[in-house]
Amino acid sequence: MSDTEGTEPASTEVQEAKAKYVGFVFDTATFTVEQDKMLAWAESVGETDPRFTDPSHPDFQAHPTFTASLVSRRVLPEDFPKIGGPRGIDGGKAVVIQQPIRPGDQLKASATIADIYEKTGRSGTMTFIVQRMSFVNQNDEPVSMVDWKMIRNP
Amino acid sequence: MILDLHTHSVRSDDGRAKVDNYCQWIRKKEIPLDGMVLTEHRQWDDTSDYRDLEDQYGLVILKASEVETDYGHVLVFGVNEDLVHSFDFARVDNPLPEVLAAAERCGAFAAPCHPGRRNVGLFAHYERKGVVDAVHTVEVLNGGSIPGEDELSVEKAAEYGYRGFGGSDSHIVSRIGFCATEFDDTITDIDSLVAALYGGRFRAVNLREPV
Repeated sequence: MSDTEGTEPASTEVQEAKAKYVGFVFDTATFTVEQDKMLAWAESVGETDPRFTDPSHPDFQAHPTFTASLVSRRVLPEDFPKIGGPRGIDGGKAVVIQQPIRPGDQLKASATIADIYEKTGRSGTMTFIVQRMSFVNQNDEPVSMVDWKMIRNP
Repeated sequence: MILDLHTHSVRSDDGRAKVDNYCQWIRKKEIPLDGMVLTEHRQWDDTSDYRDLEDQYGLVILKASEVETDYGHVLVFGVNEDLVHSFDFARVDNPLPEVLAAAERCGAFAAPCHPGRRNVGLFAHYERKGVVDAVHTVEVLNGGSIPGEDELSVEKAAEYGYRGFGGSDSHIVSRIGFCATEFDDTITDIDSLVAALYGGRFRAVNLREPV
């Protein structure tokens, strides 16, 4: 039996899903950045830089990975197909920092599917779904972008 | 001359090493490498330029690709515009015979890597689907292999009469140079590498420190 025998042609599924979903906003959310939550996150990641741990610091701001803790109502579009297999693995998050985030900022986030791709490894074919949350502040300035890799395999 | 023919940088989706850091590591740890080939996953990186690093560290730094086929992964050296348009580097199911034929037609050199991997390596596919006649060279030493895999690669390569080369398959800095390829010729660019590979004047070497 081949690695993909007995399953739908994954590449065709992926191509169709990419055409339909990549780049389209499927959810939005708003967040008020609270000092307590900023401090809790910084402590949880073991940060010691006073810019992120001391509210009296003149450049006090949210830890660069803070936006990784914010999630929208939906992780995937409502009608997203069950491609790639039943098993799911959290592939981690990558954060792009664009501007400091300050206490009291009002963030607006939009969720899109940034990419869908396949790769093969020791366990066979894996399907990667990258959900992207793009954050702007109350001045519509981009502040952060979080890519979350979700991995599915048979 | 010794080159690591199988490495990944941050340009690969699962790579964590910057090329600059690879170079620093090679020099600091005095790894007996004269250079490396970056074989990024499922893509041809035609934008990165490592000539400054070559000059700074005195290393040969070449670029290639690791593509995926229905018989496992394949390293492709000498990627050019013609080859990029011959098949989809992003697909995971490119037919191996087509990839090998396209490489030869376009003046590149393609060879299966980590062929001894269970279930997903070339030789596992051979058991299920039969031999691919166009294969002539395989990676017999891979720095990411688990016990038994390289032994199988060496054994099967000898059985089929394949030439064998080596590479670390490094995705992090500290694993570069675990395995490599020793060439009789001097390699200065990708053309001389492809020529040396086709000429068969090389052998796989294990540079790992003994446990």
